[in-house]
Amino acid sequence: MNESVSPMPAEQQAAQRHGRAWRIARRLLQGDRPYMLYIAFAILLVVFSFASPWFLSIDNFLNIGRQTALVSIIAIGMTFVIIARQIDLSVGSALALSGMSAALAMSHISDTWIVGAIAGIGTGAIVGAINGFVTTRLNIPSFLVTLGTLSAARGLALMVTTTRPEIITNDHFIAIFGEGDIAGVPVPILWTLLAVIGGILLLHYSVFGRQIYAAGGNPTAALYSGINIRRVTTLAFVLTGVLAGLAALVLSARSHAARPDVVQGMELDVIASVTLGGCSLFGGRGFILGTLLGSLIIGTLNNGLVLLGVSSSLQLVIKGVIIVAAVAFTRK
Amino acid sequence: MSEPVAVAAASSPRVPLIRVAGVTKKFGGVQALRGVNLEVLPGEVHALLGENGAGKSTLIKILSGVHTYDEGSIEIAGQKVAFESPARSREAGVAVVYQDLSLVESLSVGANLMLGREPRTRLGFVRQRELMAQVGAFLREHNIPLDPRVPVDSLPFAYRQMTEICKALMGDVRVLILDEPTSALTGGEEQILFDAIRTVTARGVGVIYVTHRLNEVFRISQRVTVFRDGANAGHFATADTDMKQLVAAIVGPRHAAMQARQETSTGASAQTVQSKAAQTAEPNTLDAPVLALSNVSNARLHGVNFAVRKGEVHGLAGLIGSGRTEILQTIFGLLPIDAGSIELDGQPLAARRPGDAIQRGIALVPEDRHLQGLVLDHSIERNLTLPRLPQFSRGGWLRAQAAAQQARTAMKQLSVKAPNASTHVKFLSGGNQQKVVFAKWNHPRPKVLLLDEPTVGVDVGAREEIYGVVHDAASAGTGVVVVSSDLDELLRLCDRISIVVDGSIVRTVERAQLRTAEELHHLIQLPRPTEELAT
Repeated sequence: MNESVSPMPAEQQAAQRHGRAWRIARRLLQGDRPYMLYIAFAILLVVFSFASPWFLSIDNFLNIGRQTALVSIIAIGMTFVIIARQIDLSVGSALALSGMSAALAMSHISDTWIVGAIAGIGTGAIVGAINGFVTTRLNIPSFLVTLGTLSAARGLALMVTTTRPEIITNDHFIAIFGEGDIAGVPVPILWTLLAVIGGILLLHYSVFGRQIYAAGGNPTAALYSGINIRRVTTLAFVLTGVLAGLAALVLSARSHAARPDVVQGMELDVIASVTLGGCSLFGGRGFILGTLLGSLIIGTLNNGLVLLGVSSSLQLVIKGVIIVAAVAFTRK
Repeated sequence: MSEPVAVAAASSPRVPLIRVAGVTKKFGGVQALRGVNLEVLPGEVHALLGENGAGKSTLIKILSGVHTYDEGSIEIAGQKVAFESPARSREAGVAVVYQDLSLVESLSVGANLMLGREPRTRLGFVRQRELMAQVGAFLREHNIPLDPRVPVDSLPFAYRQMTEICKALMGDVRVLILDEPTSALTGGEEQILFDAIRTVTARGVGVIYVTHRLNEVFRISQRVTVFRDGANAGHFATADTDMKQLVAAIVGPRHAAMQARQETSTGASAQTVQSKAAQTAEPNTLDAPVLALSNVSNARLHGVNFAVRKGEVHGLAGLIGSGRTEILQTIFGLLPIDAGSIELDGQPLAARRPGDAIQRGIALVPEDRHLQGLVLDHSIERNLTLPRLPQFSRGGWLRAQAAAQQARTAMKQLSVKAPNASTHVKFLSGGNQQKVVFAKWNHPRPKVLLLDEPTVGVDVGAREEIYGVVHDAASAGTGVVVVSSDLDELLRLCDRISIVVDGSIVRTVERAQLRTAEELHHLIQLPRPTEELAT
């Protein structure tokens, strides 16, 4: 509370001194306790660097980037949904269904990467649109709606091939979304960066972003200010679905196949990243770089704990504790 | 459980159940009560009247143990009692039924009445049958038509209120305080409530009945006490008084004096507002109306007709729940129209949602700025730009500089006191918050500005500034509609005032025809003004 008011004059003086760069930095790094997030990340890096000789290497960081790509991409969309005071539990299932849809489209319709991409992303968008429409038109809490689509979309994904994986052989598709690289940077990381930049523009520089913040910050006041809350909320779900579709393309291209049973329980990692990154589950607060950092912290934690030989069971425990602690900190 | 009123009934009818003598209360520098007196006899309904801020709620809060009092004394059945906490006040036999109900809606009437004191088995399970039997006996004894098994959320509002009253009566109650119990009731429901009150008083309980509706006073009460400015302004036996006398006591002689004071203290802006009274009628009469409602009906409105001219300030006066707010909400697209039409500049205005209304140049400053007007957790700039985002964007992208520039200009024009435009709204004072709500509609000027209780919770200085803003808007040609329960405010701001009763406008008067707030008060209180005025 206090910290957001008292430093204002100082910050403004600084703004005048540093001008444009400072303004942009403030906009992108906003959030009530951003510093804690950066400090936490820094401490994590230092600790693991000392604890494991393999941690501090470019290869390992590219590895972390690849491993966190799926979660980071979807978490960008989830940031919009959570700022709008909603939740989307169906992202893992939407990813699985989108992957199946992309692979099947390439094997049955036309074996070109663009058809696969359109099918995958389109399927994600449809799942998101259903989430959004049912939530806003029937006034059912999104927690329940997306719990429903979590189950239904997973069921559909399993049904379409009677639970068998669908092999992907299109080399362009595999290169563009999974195995290629530009100047040594693997494409999953590049897609993550693209999603982050798109998310920043949309959330911090567009009218839609302002409307999302208002819809979550105080829905009644937003309504009285002429914001079409139903439309804005639905769009946030569609965006999340689209990004789940993109993540599906990345995953299926990397494994040369779409499998209907992948990433079960992924929604937990995504929601954990978003809340850790400073989004309030009570709506109206959050920022894209925070979400990215949240996802990287969880990814680094996973990576570091593996290098240190911590069991995967204990990793789950640590992750669970972090989610609750993050909410405790962002709570008003 | 069913010995609640035995004590009260036993005591002599001449000893007051409760005697408040010379009680004072100061909040900071504000003297809320300057030594008030009140006596309630067993079996009596004692009406407590007064304008907002007269001290009624302060006294109720003292009696219910929420606030302490500074001087004076309070006796219950001749015994001095310290009302230091709600629990102690309840022990002394004082029960308060507030306007906002405190029931668990998903539970049955019986479960609500016994909440927290359910009969249990040794293992802690609730003896359901015994509970219902106890409640049933209590209801029969008090002759109250409620079924203990029915869930509260399936009941009409009057029966919920009755449940609330029963809840207050479970236990040793001597004095029951009802705070505006009928504000949300329909006519038929009112009768049910009055019957319940009579049943209660027949058992010797004393009732303090707070209301703004004077006709109820004559229907239910035996005596009346009027508060004004934190002091007793009158005490009447209901049978020996009339509405005129009560209104005079409520409004007081201050009206003329107050107008003079405002004129001298606020200088130019007040004078220009004052001059309105003189100039009204003639100048704009020929102008076509900027906003016209004809026969507008929906769930809450029953055929509303009125028109606002360019540059006119048009007041809507009426009781709480009469439909004033709903008229504004319907114009703004928040409530659907079932029949009739609204025209803006002669064109039909079919606003299906607030966005449509805003686009057509209509603005609303809502009743509750925290809930409806502001995103408290966001900056001034974000709040200011919210209703007019298209104005600050190109192709869907925000023009941050333009938005920040506009925010600074608006803050300066309305003299919003804050470090800068990125200050969070929640840190501002009530008056400054309200100025931010006004500033949302500052530029460009709306064609129609709808104001719902524009100065509630705003200090005197900011209030004058807000009056200035309203006046500026009208001078620039905006048609203004003001809903206010503060009659002096309506008299100060408006060119014409329409009286709203039960979702329709019964009468529109020119400001020049009204001399005092008292006259306006009469118009609001009388359901059929023409008839009654003739007598």
